[in-house]
Amino acid sequence: MKTIAMAWRNLLRQKRRTLITLSALIVGLCGVVVFQGYITSLMRSFRDRTIGAGIGHLQIARSSGYFEDGEFNPYAYAMRDAETLVADLARQPGVLAAFPSTGFTSIAGKGEKSVTLLVKAYPAERMFFAPVQGRVRAPTDRFGLGTLLSGASPSAGDKDRIVLGETAARILDARPGSVVTLMAVLPDGRLNGRDFTVDAIYRDPGRDKIFAFTDYDTAVDFTGIDGAAVVHVLARDIGVVPAIAAHLPPGLAVRTWHDLAAYYVQVNAMFSGFLGVIRAIILLVTLFIMANTMNRIVRERMREWGTLRAMGMKKQSILLLVVLEGFFQGIVGAALGILLGFGVSELLNVGGGVPFSSGGQRVVVKILLSGQSIWWNLIPAGLFAAAAAFLPGLRAVRLTPSECLRQI
Amino acid sequence: MSLINVRNVEKHYRLEKTDAPALVDVSLEIQAGERVCLMGPSGSGKSTLLNLIGCIDAPSAGNVIVDGEDTGSLGDARLSDFRNRRMGFIFQSFNLIPVLSVFENIEYPLLLQRVPARERRARVEELLRMVGLEEYGRRSPENLSGGQRQRVSIARALVARPRLVIADEPTASLDHATGSSIMRLMVEMNESEGATLVFSTHDPAVSRYAKRIVKMLDGRIVEDGNAA
Repeated sequence: MKTIAMAWRNLLRQKRRTLITLSALIVGLCGVVVFQGYITSLMRSFRDRTIGAGIGHLQIARSSGYFEDGEFNPYAYAMRDAETLVADLARQPGVLAAFPSTGFTSIAGKGEKSVTLLVKAYPAERMFFAPVQGRVRAPTDRFGLGTLLSGASPSAGDKDRIVLGETAARILDARPGSVVTLMAVLPDGRLNGRDFTVDAIYRDPGRDKIFAFTDYDTAVDFTGIDGAAVVHVLARDIGVVPAIAAHLPPGLAVRTWHDLAAYYVQVNAMFSGFLGVIRAIILLVTLFIMANTMNRIVRERMREWGTLRAMGMKKQSILLLVVLEGFFQGIVGAALGILLGFGVSELLNVGGGVPFSSGGQRVVVKILLSGQSIWWNLIPAGLFAAAAAFLPGLRAVRLTPSECLRQI
Repeated sequence: MSLINVRNVEKHYRLEKTDAPALVDVSLEIQAGERVCLMGPSGSGKSTLLNLIGCIDAPSAGNVIVDGEDTGSLGDARLSDFRNRRMGFIFQSFNLIPVLSVFENIEYPLLLQRVPARERRARVEELLRMVGLEEYGRRSPENLSGGQRQRVSIARALVARPRLVIADEPTASLDHATGSSIMRLMVEMNESEGATLVFSTHDPAVSRYAKRIVKMLDGRIVEDGNAA
């Protein structure tokens, strides 16, 4: 106990030198905390947009094959009991919305122009297209499928309506109110054609040439498909997803948002790795600075080590004393760095956030602070600092007590 | 049986490429309760001999037997324990631990022995009274005068009731009057606590506090006799 108290008091002996030694750690970890908060905020927003843009928190299919080729062959995976499943899911706590979806591949034609479309079909009340102005986010119980350039989203009960992407509409020369003819191969192999009225034109760069949207009932009626290809669940938050998945009947293929959002997972892993490298560099620099300081401290206190050992303190206790002082230095430096990081983040947030350019638009990101910032920085800093003190500590016990006492 | 038995001890220090002898074939016996002064000029080997008797250094040759234990046969951990339980040290520069209060400095050897807190407190308070510093327990050593610091050092050396107290030039950093009062205190403590006292000095005025004077020169004992 006294060893801990002595190590702590030794830390406070030369406050200015301690502060100078720790300045690299303080400034570095402050930067890490701010950067981590910025990345966390960006990634959380990216995650929520990914989940809400057609994936959902959970997807439930009849078999796992759907997740391999179901998007292009939804007829093969029709779930006849989808309505019961949707009703059961809707009763579960934490579920904001559960709904079926299907789709079909089609050739859309208008006059002499045609384009191949992948038509996705959701219940009309679960589709949301954001207005161009104001960056309105989709409600949490709907899929946000893009930006509405013209027209209006389909309403429940509307028959044979379609939302076309900007690029596809340009190719077809279609606008809201235009009629386009869709031709699709039915589950039994026959070809069906029907006129659809364009309700709206949406924009989603990279997707709006291929993807079009229609109401689920219209798609079922048009294709004669015998049930939903997949059931989507939108949950209150990602924390409740495992509990919802655990209550599902056996025999179904279930994928969570994490399984399906491969791009998000990759980007998140890349940023985590990047952050880890920065943190490691800061800790390594700190390790060298602290090892140097601890070496000097050990040399300066040789007579103290000699006196303590003459009184009967064992070598390992001296080593522990030095290592503990290093550990405390790391913990104090990291705590100050984290506090400073929290302060800087709050200041930036109060000032409106950090600007970020997304899809040609300038958005402002608020820095998101979490308890993770504390533990992921505090504990490694303490351990690195203790490691930095280890070799100097060995130096403190290498000499005999009389050799230590002779040092000036 | 003598408390200290130094037999044919040699000590050499390696200085760059040469071997410098600090002690040459030294033999010495000290009985329990004695008050012995090692006297000699600087470099005569008195501090080296004290270090060997105090088990904080090992001889190059020969044996140092303290309280029946051949100290050369003890490992570092046992030697630490041996010093803690049987020896007290008083240093020329006091060597108090600056991050500990006066009370804590004196208490420290008892903490290493895991003596219960109540016993520790009683013993430290007793020693603070004996050295006349009962009001100074909470102070930092840095706020004490040289004489007061050496009193704390004496209290620390005696707190664990050691059989042997070793003092290396205990008055060298003090003025004459303070040095004399420190020596008187050490004599009193030697008599009241019954610990054997071995100290070194080059000052004849300090050596008169000893009952026996061992004179050293060039690493050898040149005279050993009772004080006048």
